[in-house]
Amino acid sequence: MTISDDLLRDLAIRAAKELGDSATAETIKQYVNKELMARGVMPKEGEQAGGRAILTSFGLNKPGVVSSITGALSTSEIDILDISQKIMQDFFTMIMMIDITNSSKTLKEVQDDLHIVAEKLNIKIYLQHEDVFRFMHRI
Amino acid sequence: MPYEFEEVLSTIKMTEIEHFDIRTVTMGINLKDCSDRNVEVACQKIYDKITRLAGKHVENALKIESQYGIAIANKRVSVTPISLIADSFGEEEFIKIAETLDKAARQIGIDYIAGYSALVQKGATNGELRFLNSIPYALASTAKVCSSVNIGSTKAGINIDAINIMSEKIKQTAELTKDNGSIGCAKLVVFCNAVEDNPFVAGAFHGVSEPEVVINVGISGPGVVLDGIRSAGRVDFRELAEVIKKTVFKITRAGELIGRKVAASNNVEFGIVDISLAPTPAEGDSIADILMAMGVEDVGAPGTTAALAMLNDCVKKAGLMASSCVGGMSGAFIPVSEDQGMIRAVEAGHLSLEKLEAMTAVCSVGLDMIAVPGDTPATTIAGVIADEAAIGVINDKTTAVRIIPVYGKKVGESVDYGGLLGKAPVMPISTLSSANLLLRGGRFPAPMRSLTN
Repeated sequence: MTISDDLLRDLAIRAAKELGDSATAETIKQYVNKELMARGVMPKEGEQAGGRAILTSFGLNKPGVVSSITGALSTSEIDILDISQKIMQDFFTMIMMIDITNSSKTLKEVQDDLHIVAEKLNIKIYLQHEDVFRFMHRI
Repeated sequence: MPYEFEEVLSTIKMTEIEHFDIRTVTMGINLKDCSDRNVEVACQKIYDKITRLAGKHVENALKIESQYGIAIANKRVSVTPISLIADSFGEEEFIKIAETLDKAARQIGIDYIAGYSALVQKGATNGELRFLNSIPYALASTAKVCSSVNIGSTKAGINIDAINIMSEKIKQTAELTKDNGSIGCAKLVVFCNAVEDNPFVAGAFHGVSEPEVVINVGISGPGVVLDGIRSAGRVDFRELAEVIKKTVFKITRAGELIGRKVAASNNVEFGIVDISLAPTPAEGDSIADILMAMGVEDVGAPGTTAALAMLNDCVKKAGLMASSCVGGMSGAFIPVSEDQGMIRAVEAGHLSLEKLEAMTAVCSVGLDMIAVPGDTPATTIAGVIADEAAIGVINDKTTAVRIIPVYGKKVGESVDYGGLLGKAPVMPISTLSSANLLLRGGRFPAPMRSLTN
Protein backbone atom coordinates (compact mmCIF):
# COMPACT_ATOMS: atom_id res chain seq x y z
CA MET A 1 0.00 0.00 0.00
CA THR A 2 1.08 3.60 -0.37
CA ILE A 3 1.63 5.87 2.57
CA SER A 4 0.03 9.30 2.28
CA ASP A 5 2.00 12.50 2.71
CA ASP A 6 -0.20 13.47 5.64
CA LEU A 7 0.59 10.28 7.48
CA LEU A 8 4.30 10.78 6.90
CA ARG A 9 4.14 14.36 8.16
CA ASP A 10 2.19 13.26 11.20
CA LEU A 11 4.72 10.52 11.93
CA ALA A 12 7.66 12.89 11.55
CA ILE A 13 6.17 15.42 13.98
CA ARG A 14 5.39 12.73 16.54
CA ALA A 15 8.82 11.19 16.19
CA ALA A 16 10.41 14.60 16.78
CA LYS A 17 8.34 15.13 19.94
CA GLU A 18 8.89 11.63 21.27
CA LEU A 19 12.61 11.35 20.65
CA GLY A 20 13.61 14.98 21.18
CA ASP A 21 17.32 15.82 21.04
CA SER A 22 18.38 12.21 21.43
CA ALA A 23 17.09 11.29 17.95
CA THR A 24 19.50 9.46 15.67
CA ALA A 25 18.87 8.07 12.20
CA GLU A 26 18.53 4.60 13.70
CA THR A 27 16.08 5.52 16.47
CA ILE A 28 13.90 7.48 14.02
CA LYS A 29 13.82 4.48 11.69
CA GLN A 30 12.84 2.18 14.55
CA TYR A 31 10.14 4.59 15.69
CA VAL A 32 8.64 4.99 12.21
CA ASN A 33 8.70 1.25 11.55
CA LYS A 34 6.96 0.60 14.85
CA GLU A 35 4.27 3.18 14.12
CA LEU A 36 3.73 1.86 10.61
CA MET A 37 3.39 -1.69 11.85
CA ALA A 38 0.83 -0.51 14.40
CA ARG A 39 -1.16 0.79 11.43
CA GLY A 40 -0.97 -2.54 9.66
CA VAL A 41 1.77 -1.63 7.22
CA MET A 42 4.49 -4.26 7.24
CA PRO A 43 7.77 -2.90 5.93
CA LYS A 44 9.12 -5.61 3.65
CA GLU A 45 12.68 -6.79 3.99
CA GLY A 46 14.77 -5.32 1.19
CA GLU A 47 11.74 -3.98 -0.63
CA GLN A 48 12.75 -2.26 -3.84
CA ALA A 49 11.58 1.25 -4.37
CA GLY A 50 8.87 1.29 -7.02
CA GLY A 51 9.23 3.18 -10.21
CA ARG A 52 9.08 2.53 -13.87
CA ALA A 53 10.05 -0.67 -15.56
CA ILE A 54 10.20 -1.86 -19.14
CA LEU A 55 8.44 -5.05 -20.08
CA THR A 56 9.55 -6.69 -23.29
CA SER A 57 7.80 -9.71 -24.67
CA PHE A 58 8.14 -11.64 -27.87
CA GLY A 59 7.18 -14.93 -29.40
CA LEU A 60 4.77 -16.54 -31.79
CA ASN A 61 1.69 -14.37 -32.25
CA LYS A 62 -1.60 -15.80 -31.04
CA PRO A 63 -4.90 -14.45 -29.78
CA GLY A 64 -4.93 -13.34 -26.17
CA VAL A 65 -1.24 -12.60 -25.71
CA VAL A 66 -1.70 -8.93 -24.89
CA SER A 67 -4.73 -9.53 -22.69
CA SER A 68 -2.94 -12.23 -20.69
CA ILE A 69 -0.06 -9.88 -19.96
CA THR A 70 -2.16 -6.84 -19.20
CA GLY A 71 -4.46 -9.02 -17.12
CA ALA A 72 -1.57 -10.12 -14.95
CA LEU A 73 -0.47 -6.51 -14.58
CA SER A 74 -3.92 -5.19 -13.66
CA THR A 75 -4.42 -7.74 -10.89
CA SER A 76 -1.24 -6.37 -9.34
CA GLU A 77 -2.48 -2.76 -9.70
CA ILE A 78 0.24 -1.82 -12.13
CA ASP A 79 -0.16 1.20 -14.39
CA ILE A 80 0.66 0.81 -18.05
CA LEU A 81 2.21 4.06 -19.22
CA ASP A 82 2.94 3.22 -22.82
CA ILE A 83 2.71 0.32 -25.26
CA SER A 84 4.50 -0.22 -28.52
CA GLN A 85 4.03 -3.30 -30.63
CA LYS A 86 5.31 -4.72 -33.88
CA ILE A 87 4.24 -7.84 -35.70
CA MET A 88 6.53 -9.39 -38.26
CA GLN A 89 5.05 -12.37 -40.04
CA ASP A 90 4.05 -14.73 -37.23
CA PHE A 91 6.14 -13.06 -34.54
CA PHE A 92 5.12 -10.26 -32.28
CA THR A 93 7.31 -7.98 -30.18
CA MET A 94 5.69 -5.83 -27.56
CA ILE A 95 7.35 -3.27 -25.34
CA MET A 96 5.52 -1.69 -22.44
CA MET A 97 6.51 0.94 -19.99
CA ILE A 98 4.84 0.24 -16.68
CA ASP A 99 4.77 1.89 -13.30
CA ILE A 100 4.82 -0.34 -10.24
CA THR A 101 4.85 2.44 -7.65
CA ASN A 102 1.24 1.86 -6.68
CA SER A 103 1.45 -1.91 -6.72
CA SER A 104 1.53 -3.95 -3.55
CA LYS A 105 4.09 -6.20 -5.22
CA THR A 106 7.81 -5.83 -5.66
CA LEU A 107 9.43 -5.99 -9.07
CA LYS A 108 10.61 -9.51 -8.26
CA GLU A 109 7.08 -10.68 -7.46
CA VAL A 110 5.75 -9.17 -10.69
CA GLN A 111 8.55 -10.92 -12.57
CA ASP A 112 7.49 -14.22 -11.02
CA ASP A 113 3.84 -13.61 -12.02
CA LEU A 114 4.86 -12.82 -15.57
CA HIS A 115 7.06 -15.88 -15.69
CA ILE A 116 3.95 -18.02 -15.21
CA VAL A 117 2.18 -16.16 -18.04
CA ALA A 118 5.19 -16.61 -20.30
CA GLU A 119 5.32 -20.35 -19.60
CA LYS A 120 1.63 -20.74 -20.31
CA LEU A 121 1.73 -18.87 -23.62
CA ASN A 122 5.17 -20.18 -24.59
CA ILE A 123 6.52 -16.65 -25.14
CA LYS A 124 9.39 -14.68 -23.61
CA ILE A 125 8.73 -11.89 -21.16
CA TYR A 126 11.48 -9.75 -19.66
CA LEU A 127 10.86 -7.16 -17.00
CA GLN A 128 13.70 -4.80 -16.17
CA HIS A 129 13.85 -1.63 -14.16
CA GLU A 130 13.85 1.44 -16.39
CA ASP A 131 17.24 2.63 -15.09
CA VAL A 132 19.13 0.08 -17.14
CA PHE A 133 17.73 1.56 -20.37
CA ARG A 134 18.20 5.10 -19.19
CA PHE A 135 21.85 4.41 -18.29
CA MET A 136 22.62 2.68 -21.57
CA HIS A 137 20.79 4.90 -24.04
CA ARG A 138 20.60 8.37 -22.50
CA ILE A 139 23.45 10.58 -21.39
CA MET B 1 7.55 5.80 -25.34
CA PRO B 2 10.70 7.52 -24.01
CA TYR B 3 12.86 4.78 -25.55
CA GLU B 4 13.03 3.71 -29.15
CA PHE B 5 11.95 0.20 -30.01
CA GLU B 6 15.46 -0.59 -31.22
CA GLU B 7 17.08 0.71 -28.06
CA VAL B 8 15.05 -1.58 -25.85
CA LEU B 9 15.67 -4.54 -28.12
CA SER B 10 19.42 -3.85 -28.28
CA THR B 11 19.62 -4.06 -24.49
CA ILE B 12 17.62 -7.29 -24.41
CA LYS B 13 19.84 -8.69 -27.16
CA MET B 14 22.97 -7.86 -25.17
CA THR B 15 21.79 -9.49 -21.97
CA GLU B 16 19.98 -12.47 -23.47
CA ILE B 17 21.96 -13.42 -26.56
CA GLU B 18 25.42 -11.89 -26.43
CA HIS B 19 26.42 -13.13 -22.95
CA PHE B 20 26.60 -9.66 -21.53
CA ASP B 21 27.08 -9.87 -17.82
CA ILE B 22 28.86 -8.11 -15.04
CA ARG B 23 31.90 -10.28 -14.38
CA THR B 24 32.23 -9.40 -10.76
CA VAL B 25 30.98 -7.23 -7.97
CA THR B 26 33.78 -7.20 -5.45
CA MET B 27 33.46 -5.87 -1.93
CA GLY B 28 36.77 -4.54 -0.63
CA ILE B 29 37.10 -4.81 3.14
CA ASN B 30 39.75 -3.22 5.33
CA LEU B 31 41.26 -5.71 7.78
CA LYS B 32 43.87 -3.39 9.30
CA ASP B 33 41.91 -3.30 12.53
CA CYS B 34 41.93 -7.10 12.79
CA SER B 35 45.59 -7.56 13.64
CA ASP B 36 46.40 -9.20 16.94
CA ARG B 37 49.39 -10.92 18.53
CA ASN B 38 47.32 -14.02 19.09
CA VAL B 39 46.48 -15.75 15.83
CA GLU B 40 43.22 -17.21 17.16
CA VAL B 41 42.01 -13.75 18.11
CA ALA B 42 43.10 -12.30 14.76
CA CYS B 43 41.29 -15.07 12.89
CA GLN B 44 38.12 -14.52 14.89
CA LYS B 45 38.25 -10.78 14.22
CA ILE B 46 38.77 -11.39 10.50
CA TYR B 47 35.96 -13.91 10.29
CA ASP B 48 33.56 -11.71 12.21
CA LYS B 49 34.32 -8.62 10.18
CA ILE B 50 33.97 -10.30 6.78
CA THR B 51 30.77 -12.11 7.64
CA ARG B 52 29.32 -8.97 9.21
CA LEU B 53 30.08 -6.60 6.33
CA ALA B 54 29.62 -8.98 3.41
CA GLY B 55 26.98 -11.22 4.96
CA LYS B 56 24.33 -9.98 2.56
CA HIS B 57 26.63 -9.25 -0.37
CA VAL B 58 25.45 -12.23 -2.43
CA GLU B 59 21.79 -11.80 -1.55
CA ASN B 60 21.86 -8.10 -2.47
CA ALA B 61 23.68 -8.77 -5.73
CA LEU B 62 21.08 -11.39 -6.69
CA LYS B 63 18.30 -8.90 -6.07
CA ILE B 64 19.94 -6.27 -8.28
CA GLU B 65 20.52 -8.96 -10.92
CA SER B 66 16.83 -9.72 -11.22
CA GLN B 67 15.77 -6.10 -10.96
CA TYR B 68 17.82 -5.05 -13.97
CA GLY B 69 17.90 -8.32 -15.84
CA ILE B 70 21.70 -8.32 -15.97
CA ALA B 71 23.58 -11.32 -14.65
CA ILE B 72 26.44 -10.85 -12.19
CA ALA B 73 28.74 -13.81 -12.82
CA ASN B 74 30.77 -13.63 -9.61
CA LYS B 75 30.34 -12.10 -6.19
CA ARG B 76 33.68 -11.62 -4.49
CA VAL B 77 35.42 -10.07 -1.54
CA SER B 78 38.89 -8.56 -1.45
CA VAL B 79 40.73 -7.79 1.77
CA THR B 80 43.75 -5.83 2.96
CA PRO B 81 46.95 -7.70 1.98
CA ILE B 82 47.25 -10.28 4.73
CA SER B 83 51.03 -9.85 5.03
CA LEU B 84 50.42 -6.27 6.18
CA ILE B 85 48.12 -7.08 9.06
CA ALA B 86 50.08 -10.03 10.39
CA ASP B 87 53.77 -9.24 9.93
CA SER B 88 54.74 -10.85 13.23
CA PHE B 89 53.24 -14.25 12.38
CA GLY B 90 54.95 -17.41 11.25
CA GLU B 91 54.10 -19.59 8.26
CA GLU B 92 51.64 -21.82 10.10
CA GLU B 93 49.79 -18.85 11.49
CA PHE B 94 49.48 -17.32 8.04
CA ILE B 95 47.98 -20.56 6.79
CA LYS B 96 45.45 -20.41 9.63
CA ILE B 97 44.42 -16.98 8.40
CA ALA B 98 44.00 -18.33 4.86
CA GLU B 99 41.76 -21.07 6.22
CA THR B 100 39.74 -18.45 8.10
CA LEU B 101 39.28 -16.46 4.89
CA ASP B 102 38.13 -19.62 3.14
CA LYS B 103 35.68 -20.40 5.93
CA ALA B 104 34.26 -16.86 5.84
CA ALA B 105 33.92 -17.02 2.05
CA ARG B 106 31.97 -20.27 2.28
CA GLN B 107 29.78 -18.89 5.04
CA ILE B 108 28.68 -15.87 2.99
CA GLY B 109 28.46 -17.82 -0.26
CA ILE B 110 30.84 -15.77 -2.42
CA ASP B 111 32.83 -17.21 -5.32
CA TYR B 112 36.30 -16.02 -4.34
CA ILE B 113 38.06 -14.14 -1.60
CA ALA B 114 41.26 -12.37 -2.59
CA GLY B 115 43.95 -10.51 -0.74
CA TYR B 116 46.22 -13.26 0.52
CA SER B 117 48.83 -10.88 -0.78
CA ALA B 118 52.14 -9.17 -0.20
CA LEU B 119 53.69 -6.04 -1.67
CA VAL B 120 57.44 -6.62 -1.94
CA GLN B 121 58.42 -4.54 -4.98
CA LYS B 122 61.32 -2.89 -3.18
CA GLY B 123 62.14 -5.51 -0.58
CA ALA B 124 60.56 -7.97 1.81
CA THR B 125 60.33 -7.79 5.59
CA ASN B 126 61.01 -10.92 7.64
CA GLY B 127 57.26 -11.32 8.08
CA GLU B 128 56.71 -11.01 4.35
CA LEU B 129 59.35 -13.67 3.65
CA ARG B 130 57.52 -16.05 5.98
CA PHE B 131 54.27 -15.08 4.29
CA LEU B 132 55.64 -15.91 0.82
CA ASN B 133 56.67 -19.33 2.13
CA SER B 134 53.13 -19.96 3.34
CA ILE B 135 51.45 -19.30 -0.02
CA PRO B 136 51.70 -22.80 -1.58
CA TYR B 137 50.31 -24.43 1.58
CA ALA B 138 47.59 -21.81 1.95
CA LEU B 139 46.44 -22.36 -1.64
CA ALA B 140 46.57 -26.12 -1.26
CA SER B 141 44.45 -26.13 1.88
CA THR B 142 41.76 -23.69 0.71
CA ALA B 143 39.35 -23.51 -2.25
CA LYS B 144 38.23 -19.91 -2.52
CA VAL B 145 41.31 -17.98 -1.42
CA CYS B 146 43.33 -16.13 -4.07
CA SER B 147 46.83 -14.87 -3.63
CA SER B 148 48.90 -12.19 -5.31
CA VAL B 149 52.39 -10.79 -4.84
CA ASN B 150 53.63 -7.51 -6.26
CA ILE B 151 57.30 -7.82 -7.20
CA GLY B 152 57.92 -4.63 -9.12
CA SER B 153 56.77 -1.10 -9.77
CA THR B 154 57.83 1.80 -11.92
CA LYS B 155 58.76 3.78 -8.80
CA ALA B 156 60.66 0.99 -7.05
CA GLY B 157 62.09 -1.12 -9.86
CA ILE B 158 61.98 -4.91 -9.86
CA ASN B 159 62.75 -7.10 -6.87
CA ILE B 160 64.59 -9.95 -8.60
CA ASP B 161 65.03 -11.81 -5.31
CA ALA B 162 61.26 -11.84 -4.87
CA ILE B 163 60.84 -13.13 -8.44
CA ASN B 164 63.18 -16.01 -7.65
CA ILE B 165 61.24 -16.83 -4.51
CA MET B 166 57.90 -16.63 -6.32
CA SER B 167 58.98 -18.85 -9.20
CA GLU B 168 59.90 -21.52 -6.62
CA LYS B 169 56.56 -20.99 -4.86
CA ILE B 170 54.68 -21.39 -8.14
CA LYS B 171 56.42 -24.72 -8.75
CA GLN B 172 55.70 -25.81 -5.19
CA THR B 173 52.02 -24.79 -5.48
CA ALA B 174 51.74 -26.80 -8.69
CA GLU B 175 53.10 -29.85 -6.91
CA LEU B 176 50.98 -29.47 -3.78
CA THR B 177 47.80 -29.20 -5.89
CA LYS B 178 48.84 -31.79 -8.49
CA ASP B 179 45.74 -33.90 -7.87
CA ASN B 180 43.59 -31.08 -9.21
CA GLY B 181 45.65 -30.15 -12.26
CA SER B 182 47.86 -27.80 -10.21
CA ILE B 183 44.84 -25.54 -9.70
CA GLY B 184 46.60 -23.64 -6.92
CA CYS B 185 48.60 -21.78 -9.57
CA ALA B 186 45.37 -20.53 -11.15
CA LYS B 187 44.75 -18.65 -7.92
CA LEU B 188 48.23 -17.15 -7.63
CA VAL B 189 49.33 -14.11 -9.58
CA VAL B 190 52.65 -12.29 -9.61
CA PHE B 191 52.21 -8.58 -10.33
CA CYS B 192 54.17 -5.59 -11.41
CA ASN B 193 52.53 -2.21 -10.73
CA ALA B 194 49.60 -3.89 -8.95
CA VAL B 195 46.54 -1.69 -8.55
CA GLU B 196 44.77 -1.25 -5.24
CA ASP B 197 41.17 -1.25 -6.42
CA ASN B 198 41.17 -4.18 -8.83
CA PRO B 199 37.95 -6.20 -8.55
CA PHE B 200 39.26 -9.14 -10.61
CA VAL B 201 40.75 -12.26 -9.09
CA ALA B 202 43.25 -13.72 -8.59
CA GLY B 203 44.92 -10.32 -8.24
CA ALA B 204 42.37 -8.39 -6.20
CA PHE B 205 43.27 -6.93 -2.84
CA HIS B 206 41.93 -4.04 -0.81
CA GLY B 207 44.77 -1.53 -1.08
CA VAL B 208 46.23 0.31 1.88
CA SER B 209 44.89 3.66 0.68
CA GLU B 210 41.34 2.36 0.21
CA PRO B 211 38.42 3.27 2.51
CA GLU B 212 36.93 0.96 5.13
CA VAL B 213 34.56 -0.83 2.76
CA VAL B 214 34.00 -0.30 -0.94
CA ILE B 215 32.26 -1.94 -3.89
CA ASN B 216 34.22 -2.25 -7.14
CA VAL B 217 32.77 -3.62 -10.34
CA GLY B 218 34.40 -5.49 -13.20
CA ILE B 219 32.51 -5.60 -16.46
CA SER B 220 32.65 -8.33 -19.06
CA GLY B 221 31.08 -8.27 -22.49
CA PRO B 222 33.40 -9.43 -25.31
CA GLY B 223 30.34 -11.08 -26.89
CA VAL B 224 28.63 -7.72 -27.27
CA VAL B 225 31.71 -6.09 -28.83
CA LEU B 226 32.13 -9.07 -31.14
CA ASP B 227 28.58 -8.74 -32.39
CA GLY B 228 29.02 -5.00 -32.94
CA ILE B 229 32.16 -5.55 -35.02
CA ARG B 230 30.54 -8.32 -37.05
CA SER B 231 27.48 -6.22 -37.83
CA ALA B 232 29.65 -3.27 -38.83
CA GLY B 233 31.12 -5.27 -41.70
CA ARG B 234 34.17 -4.15 -43.65
CA VAL B 235 34.73 -0.61 -42.39
CA ASP B 236 38.05 1.22 -42.01
CA PHE B 237 39.95 1.49 -38.71
CA ARG B 238 38.49 4.85 -37.80
CA GLU B 239 34.93 3.62 -38.26
CA LEU B 240 35.75 0.39 -36.44
CA ALA B 241 37.03 2.37 -33.47
CA GLU B 242 33.71 4.20 -33.33
CA VAL B 243 31.75 0.95 -33.36
CA ILE B 244 33.78 -0.48 -30.48
CA LYS B 245 33.51 2.70 -28.44
CA LYS B 246 29.74 2.92 -28.78
CA THR B 247 29.32 -0.69 -27.67
CA VAL B 248 31.68 -0.41 -24.73
CA PHE B 249 29.99 2.78 -23.62
CA LYS B 250 26.71 0.91 -23.13
CA ILE B 251 28.38 -1.98 -21.32
CA THR B 252 30.18 0.33 -18.95
CA ARG B 253 27.03 2.31 -18.23
CA ALA B 254 25.37 -0.91 -17.18
CA GLY B 255 28.38 -1.70 -14.97
CA GLU B 256 28.17 1.74 -13.40
CA LEU B 257 24.48 1.28 -12.66
CA ILE B 258 24.91 -2.16 -11.15
CA GLY B 259 27.88 -1.00 -9.07
CA ARG B 260 26.01 1.97 -7.66
CA LYS B 261 22.96 -0.13 -6.83
CA VAL B 262 24.87 -2.98 -5.20
CA ALA B 263 26.87 -0.45 -3.19
CA ALA B 264 23.70 1.32 -2.11
CA SER B 265 22.00 -1.93 -1.14
CA ASN B 266 24.97 -2.84 1.05
CA ASN B 267 25.11 0.71 2.34
CA VAL B 268 28.77 1.13 1.36
CA GLU B 269 30.69 3.47 -0.87
CA PHE B 270 30.87 2.76 -4.60
CA GLY B 271 34.48 2.64 -5.74
CA ILE B 272 35.25 2.14 -9.39
CA VAL B 273 34.25 0.37 -12.56
CA ASP B 274 37.08 -1.68 -14.01
CA ILE B 275 36.46 -1.39 -17.73
CA SER B 276 38.32 -4.54 -18.67
CA LEU B 277 36.84 -6.76 -21.35
CA ALA B 278 36.97 -10.12 -19.60
CA PRO B 279 36.25 -13.23 -21.67
CA THR B 280 34.54 -16.38 -20.43
CA PRO B 281 34.87 -19.92 -21.78
CA ALA B 282 31.39 -19.56 -23.34
CA GLU B 283 31.43 -19.73 -27.15
CA GLY B 284 31.44 -16.21 -28.61
CA ASP B 285 32.45 -14.50 -25.37
CA SER B 286 36.03 -14.31 -26.55
CA ILE B 287 38.69 -11.65 -27.10
CA ALA B 288 40.31 -13.93 -29.67
CA ASP B 289 37.08 -13.96 -31.68
CA ILE B 290 37.01 -10.15 -31.59
CA LEU B 291 40.56 -9.98 -32.99
CA MET B 292 39.56 -12.43 -35.73
CA ALA B 293 36.42 -10.42 -36.50
CA MET B 294 38.69 -7.39 -36.83
CA GLY B 295 40.53 -9.25 -39.57
CA VAL B 296 43.41 -11.51 -38.51
CA GLU B 297 43.13 -15.10 -39.72
CA ASP B 298 43.81 -16.34 -36.21
CA VAL B 299 45.23 -14.91 -33.02
CA GLY B 300 48.99 -14.88 -33.38
CA ALA B 301 49.03 -13.66 -36.98
CA PRO B 302 51.06 -10.50 -37.65
CA GLY B 303 48.73 -7.60 -36.89
CA THR B 304 47.28 -9.25 -33.78
CA THR B 305 49.10 -6.86 -31.46
CA ALA B 306 47.90 -3.82 -33.41
CA ALA B 307 44.30 -5.05 -33.40
CA LEU B 308 44.46 -5.68 -29.67
CA ALA B 309 46.02 -2.27 -29.05
CA MET B 310 43.19 -0.52 -30.83
CA LEU B 311 40.54 -2.61 -29.10
CA ASN B 312 42.08 -1.82 -25.74
CA ASP B 313 42.35 1.88 -26.47
CA CYS B 314 38.72 2.10 -27.60
CA VAL B 315 37.58 0.29 -24.47
CA LYS B 316 39.34 2.90 -22.33
CA LYS B 317 38.08 5.90 -24.27
CA ALA B 318 34.47 4.76 -24.14
CA GLY B 319 34.60 3.49 -20.57
CA LEU B 320 36.12 6.69 -19.26
CA MET B 321 33.12 8.71 -20.37
CA ALA B 322 30.59 6.13 -19.26
CA SER B 323 31.65 5.76 -15.66
CA SER B 324 31.95 8.30 -12.87
CA CYS B 325 35.12 6.62 -11.70
CA VAL B 326 37.23 4.24 -13.74
CA GLY B 327 39.93 2.21 -12.04
CA GLY B 328 41.41 -1.23 -11.55
CA MET B 329 43.18 -2.71 -14.54
CA SER B 330 40.90 -1.31 -17.24
CA GLY B 331 41.99 -2.99 -20.44
CA ALA B 332 41.25 -6.16 -22.37
CA PHE B 333 42.19 -9.44 -20.68
CA ILE B 334 43.80 -12.22 -22.66
CA PRO B 335 43.74 -15.25 -20.36
CA VAL B 336 44.35 -18.32 -22.48
CA SER B 337 42.33 -20.94 -20.64
CA GLU B 338 39.28 -18.69 -20.15
CA ASP B 339 38.85 -17.87 -23.83
CA GLN B 340 37.71 -20.48 -26.38
CA GLY B 341 39.35 -18.62 -29.25
CA MET B 342 42.71 -18.40 -27.47
CA ILE B 343 42.59 -22.11 -26.62
CA ARG B 344 41.85 -22.93 -30.26
CA ALA B 345 44.72 -20.73 -31.47
CA VAL B 346 47.18 -22.33 -29.05
CA GLU B 347 46.07 -25.84 -29.97
CA ALA B 348 46.44 -25.03 -33.66
CA GLY B 349 49.99 -23.82 -32.99
CA HIS B 350 49.13 -20.28 -34.08
CA LEU B 351 49.69 -18.55 -30.77
CA SER B 352 52.99 -18.76 -28.91
CA LEU B 353 54.08 -17.56 -25.50
CA GLU B 354 56.30 -15.00 -27.21
CA LYS B 355 53.40 -13.50 -29.19
CA LEU B 356 51.31 -13.39 -26.05
CA GLU B 357 54.12 -11.50 -24.35
CA ALA B 358 54.08 -8.92 -27.13
CA MET B 359 50.31 -8.61 -26.77
CA THR B 360 50.63 -7.95 -23.04
CA ALA B 361 52.62 -4.82 -23.84
CA VAL B 362 49.49 -3.18 -25.23
CA CYS B 363 46.73 -4.46 -22.97
CA SER B 364 46.09 -5.54 -19.46
CA VAL B 365 47.13 -7.54 -17.82
CA GLY B 366 49.85 -9.98 -18.65
CA LEU B 367 50.55 -13.64 -19.27
CA ASP B 368 47.37 -14.98 -17.79
CA MET B 369 46.23 -18.55 -17.20
CA ILE B 370 49.03 -20.08 -19.20
CA ALA B 371 49.84 -23.74 -18.70
CA VAL B 372 53.41 -24.86 -19.33
CA PRO B 373 55.05 -28.27 -18.90
CA GLY B 374 55.41 -29.41 -15.30
CA ASP B 375 59.16 -29.86 -15.62
CA THR B 376 59.79 -26.22 -16.56
CA PRO B 377 62.68 -25.03 -14.33
CA ALA B 378 61.85 -22.38 -11.71
CA THR B 379 64.51 -20.12 -13.20
CA THR B 380 62.73 -20.19 -16.57
CA ILE B 381 59.49 -19.18 -14.88
CA ALA B 382 61.46 -16.45 -13.12
CA GLY B 383 62.71 -15.29 -16.53
CA VAL B 384 59.13 -15.08 -17.83
CA ILE B 385 58.08 -13.07 -14.77
CA ALA B 386 61.09 -10.77 -15.14
CA ASP B 387 60.26 -10.10 -18.80
CA GLU B 388 56.67 -9.18 -17.93
CA ALA B 389 57.80 -7.04 -15.02
CA ALA B 390 60.21 -5.22 -17.34
CA ILE B 391 57.36 -4.45 -19.75
CA GLY B 392 55.35 -3.13 -16.82
CA VAL B 393 58.09 -1.06 -15.23
CA ILE B 394 59.32 0.55 -18.44
CA ASN B 395 55.84 1.27 -19.82
CA ASP B 396 54.41 2.32 -16.48
CA LYS B 397 51.57 -0.20 -16.69
CA THR B 398 50.28 -3.16 -14.77
CA THR B 399 51.55 -6.52 -15.90
CA ALA B 400 51.16 -9.89 -14.28
CA VAL B 401 52.00 -13.53 -14.65
CA ARG B 402 49.60 -16.33 -13.78
CA ILE B 403 51.46 -19.35 -15.06
CA ILE B 404 50.68 -22.97 -14.30
CA PRO B 405 53.54 -25.47 -14.59
CA VAL B 406 51.07 -28.35 -14.62
CA TYR B 407 52.58 -31.16 -12.58
CA GLY B 408 53.33 -34.23 -14.68
CA LYS B 409 51.94 -32.79 -17.93
CA LYS B 410 53.73 -32.19 -21.22
CA VAL B 411 53.17 -30.01 -24.29
CA GLY B 412 50.10 -31.16 -26.19
CA GLU B 413 48.21 -32.24 -23.09
CA SER B 414 45.70 -29.97 -21.39
CA VAL B 415 44.08 -29.44 -18.04
CA ASP B 416 40.39 -28.64 -17.56
CA TYR B 417 39.33 -26.66 -14.49
CA GLY B 418 35.74 -26.07 -15.53
CA GLY B 419 33.76 -22.93 -14.71
CA LEU B 420 35.24 -19.54 -15.41
CA LEU B 421 38.82 -20.85 -15.21
CA GLY B 422 38.26 -22.97 -18.30
CA LYS B 423 40.65 -25.37 -20.02
CA ALA B 424 44.36 -24.72 -20.39
CA PRO B 425 46.40 -26.37 -23.16
CA VAL B 426 50.01 -26.95 -22.07
CA MET B 427 52.09 -24.55 -24.17
CA PRO B 428 55.68 -24.95 -25.28
CA ILE B 429 58.15 -22.72 -23.46
CA SER B 430 61.75 -21.97 -24.44
CA THR B 431 64.22 -24.54 -23.13
CA LEU B 432 67.08 -22.03 -23.14
CA SER B 433 68.30 -21.31 -19.63
CA SER B 434 67.69 -18.03 -17.82
CA ALA B 435 69.36 -19.23 -14.63
CA ASN B 436 72.59 -17.25 -14.81
CA LEU B 437 70.71 -14.00 -15.30
CA LEU B 438 68.05 -14.44 -12.65
CA LEU B 439 70.27 -16.04 -10.02
CA ARG B 440 72.35 -12.88 -9.89
CA GLY B 441 69.53 -11.75 -7.59
CA GLY B 442 69.24 -8.28 -6.11
CA ARG B 443 67.16 -5.47 -7.43
CA PHE B 444 66.59 -4.04 -10.89
CA PRO B 445 66.86 -0.32 -10.04
CA ALA B 446 63.95 2.01 -10.71
CA PRO B 447 63.94 3.13 -14.34
CA MET B 448 64.16 6.62 -15.85
CA ARG B 449 60.37 6.60 -15.95
CA SER B 450 60.25 6.84 -12.17
CA LEU B 451 62.01 10.20 -12.10
CA THR B 452 58.99 12.31 -12.89
CA ASN B 453 59.29 14.92 -10.15
